[in-house]
Amino acid sequence: MSDFVQWVTHGVKRGKLEMNSRIALRLSALVVVLTLVAALYLVLVSRTAAQGRHIQQLEAELFRLQRENEQLEVELAGESSVSRLWERAIELGFVPVEDVDFVRPLDEGPSAEEP
Amino acid sequence: MADGPRRRLRLMSTLLAGLVLVIVAQLAQVQIVDHRFYKEWAREQRERTVAMARPPRGVIRDRNGYVLAGNAVMYSIEADTAYVVDPEGVAAALGPLLHVPAAHIERLLDSESLWVQIKPLVSKDLGEQVADLRLQGITVRPLWAREYPEGPLASHVIGFCNAEGVGFYGVEEFHDALLQPAQVEWRGPVDPASEQVPWVVAPVVLPQAGAGLVLTLDRTVQALVEEELARSVQEYQAVGGTIIVMDPRTFEILALASWPEYDPGRYNDFYGLDHLPFEDPAVSQQYEPGSVVKILTVAAALDAGLVTPATTYHDQGWIEVGGVVVENASRQAYGDQTVTDILVHSLNVGTAWLSTQMGAGTFYRYLQAFGLGRPTGVDLAGEVAGQLLLPQDYERWHDSNLGTNSFGQGMAVTPMQMISAVATVANDGARLRPHVVGQRVAADGTASSCQPVVESQVISAQTARTLMDMMVRVVDEGVPQAKVEGYRVAGKTGTAQIPIPGGYDKEGTIASFIGFGPVPNPRLIVLVKLDRPKKSPWASETAARSFQRLTTRLFVVLGVPPDGTRVAEALR
Repeated sequence: MSDFVQWVTHGVKRGKLEMNSRIALRLSALVVVLTLVAALYLVLVSRTAAQGRHIQQLEAELFRLQRENEQLEVELAGESSVSRLWERAIELGFVPVEDVDFVRPLDEGPSAEEP
Repeated sequence: MADGPRRRLRLMSTLLAGLVLVIVAQLAQVQIVDHRFYKEWAREQRERTVAMARPPRGVIRDRNGYVLAGNAVMYSIEADTAYVVDPEGVAAALGPLLHVPAAHIERLLDSESLWVQIKPLVSKDLGEQVADLRLQGITVRPLWAREYPEGPLASHVIGFCNAEGVGFYGVEEFHDALLQPAQVEWRGPVDPASEQVPWVVAPVVLPQAGAGLVLTLDRTVQALVEEELARSVQEYQAVGGTIIVMDPRTFEILALASWPEYDPGRYNDFYGLDHLPFEDPAVSQQYEPGSVVKILTVAAALDAGLVTPATTYHDQGWIEVGGVVVENASRQAYGDQTVTDILVHSLNVGTAWLSTQMGAGTFYRYLQAFGLGRPTGVDLAGEVAGQLLLPQDYERWHDSNLGTNSFGQGMAVTPMQMISAVATVANDGARLRPHVVGQRVAADGTASSCQPVVESQVISAQTARTLMDMMVRVVDEGVPQAKVEGYRVAGKTGTAQIPIPGGYDKEGTIASFIGFGPVPNPRLIVLVKLDRPKKSPWASETAARSFQRLTTRLFVVLGVPPDGTRVAEALR
C-alpha cells in the first residue's frame, strides 16, 4: 500500500497550509453550533424515550388495574350470589318469610272491605 | 514537476473523482430514486403487528346490576423456546408451581417448536407467581375466562360461552356478536422480542370489553322461581318443567326457569351425554297446550262480537266437528251453560261450539294474531315456531282441527308463545314482543334502553277487561287451588295429552297453568308447565298449586300489596 502511495505522490511537494484567522473563527463557530444542535437532539431523543417508557409503564399499570377490577367484581359477585347470601342468612339465624301481613296505619283511608 | 508524476496524479484524481461519482450516483439511487422501496423495507423490518391480549366478553347483569356472567382473570403460561437458556432450571422452577412434571416441561422446552404452551389456563394468583419468577423465555399471557358467579341460576336464559369465547344458547348465543370484544392489534416499531420500543410513543390501545347487557331478569324472582320449580318437579314427580314470569305491561321477562338446569360454568361436564340440558324448553320445545287455549278461543268469539259472557248454549256432552266427535274431558253433559261457564268448567264442547260458530277464517286469524304458529321474536337463541295448521294447508289440515284446536289439541306451542298470548289479554289486548334484554351498555359505559315493541292490538281493551273478569271467576270457582289470599287473580289450567306416533300417550300429560294478577291491573303473569307429573295428571292439582305458592311469594317480593291496601291507597 505504501509503495502505491509513494508511486502516486512522489514528486509532489507537500504544500503549506495557510489558515486565515477569520475562516478559522467561522469554522469554530459552526462546529460549536453543530455540537449544540447535536446535544439538543440527543437530549430530546433521550427524553422522548424516557417518556415513552413511562407511558408504557402507565399503560401496563392501567391494564393491570383493569384486570384487578374485573377479578374483584367477579369475586364480589360470587360472594354476594343468591345461594351464598341464602347460606349466610341461614347461618345468621334468619328464616324464610311466610304469612306476610301488610300493616295499614289506622288513620289512613278505608279499606276495600269498607264501603 | 515532471510530466510523469503530474500525469499519474491527474489519473488518480480522475479515478477517485469517478469513484466518488459512482458512490454519489448509488446514493442518489438509494436515497432518491428507490426512496419509497427502501423506506417500506426498513419499516417492515422494524415494525410488527402485535395482537394484544384478547379483551374480555361483555358482562351480563340482572335488572338490579348483579353480575350474572362476568370475566375471571386468568393467564396462559407459554415459552419462546429460543430464548430459554436453562430448560432444566426453568422446568424445575415451574413444575411444582403448575403441578406439571418437570420432565414434561423440560421436554416441551427442548422441542423443535419455537413456541410451546406449558399450561393453557391458570388462575390469577398462579399466573402472577410465575411472572414474579422472571424466567427468561417464559411468557405469562393475560387471558379472561367466562365466569358465572350465580352458578346454575338462570342458566337457560344466559346460555354459556366456550373456551374460544363463542356463546352458545340463551342470551350468550343470541347476542354473541354484541358481547364479543373487538380483537385489538397494535402496529409499531418493536424490539427483537416483539416488545414495543420505548422511544416511539404509540397511541394508547387498551383492550376494550364487548358490549354489556342488562337483562330484565330479577335474580331474586329468578331464585324463587327456580326453587318453586325444583320443589314442584319433586313433589309432583314430573320429569321436567318450565316456569316463566313476565310483566304483562311491558312483556319483560322477570324470570325464566326450566328443569333440568345446569351450571353454565361446567358445561363441559355434560359432553358425551345423550340428552344435553342446554336447550331451553321455554323457547325450543313445543307441546300441545290443552285447555289454556280456551282463553284465546273465547277471546276471539267475544272480540268478533259473536257472543257475550252471558250467551248460553246447550251442552249435551259432545259435539261433532268435521266427522270427529269432541267430548268434554269429564265425559259429562252440562246442560245450558254460559260462555263464562265454558272457561270455569273448561268445556271442550263449548269451545268447539264457539270455533265452529266463528268459522275457520275468523278463528285462525285470531290465533295467528295471538302469535301462535310463529316465533315470538324473544331475544333468546333457538326459538321454534310451534305448529298451527291452517285451512290453506289442504294436505294436513282437517275440518276436525277446528274443533280440537279450540281447546288446544292438534297444535303445538312453546311456553313462550303461550304466555305471550295470554299476556296480551292482561295487557288490554295489545301483544308486545317478549324480551330479556333491558339495556345494552357500550364499552365506554353508554347505555341504551331496549324499548318494548308492540306487535299488534289483537283484541279490544274492552274485550280484554271482560275476559279478565271471566278468568277471575275461573280461579274463584273452577280452580280454587290457584287462589292467592288477598289478591284477585285470573288464570286457566291446561291438562294436555302428549302426542306420540299413531295417537296420544295414555300414560302422561302436560299440566300447565297460566295466571296473572292482581286484576284489574296485573303486575305479573306466571306460566307453570310440568311434564308428565305422576302424582296427579291434572293441572289443577299440580301446576295450579305451584302457581299459588309462587305468586304468593312474588307479590311480596315485588312489593305488590293486597287488594284492600291498594284500594285504600287509591282512595287517599
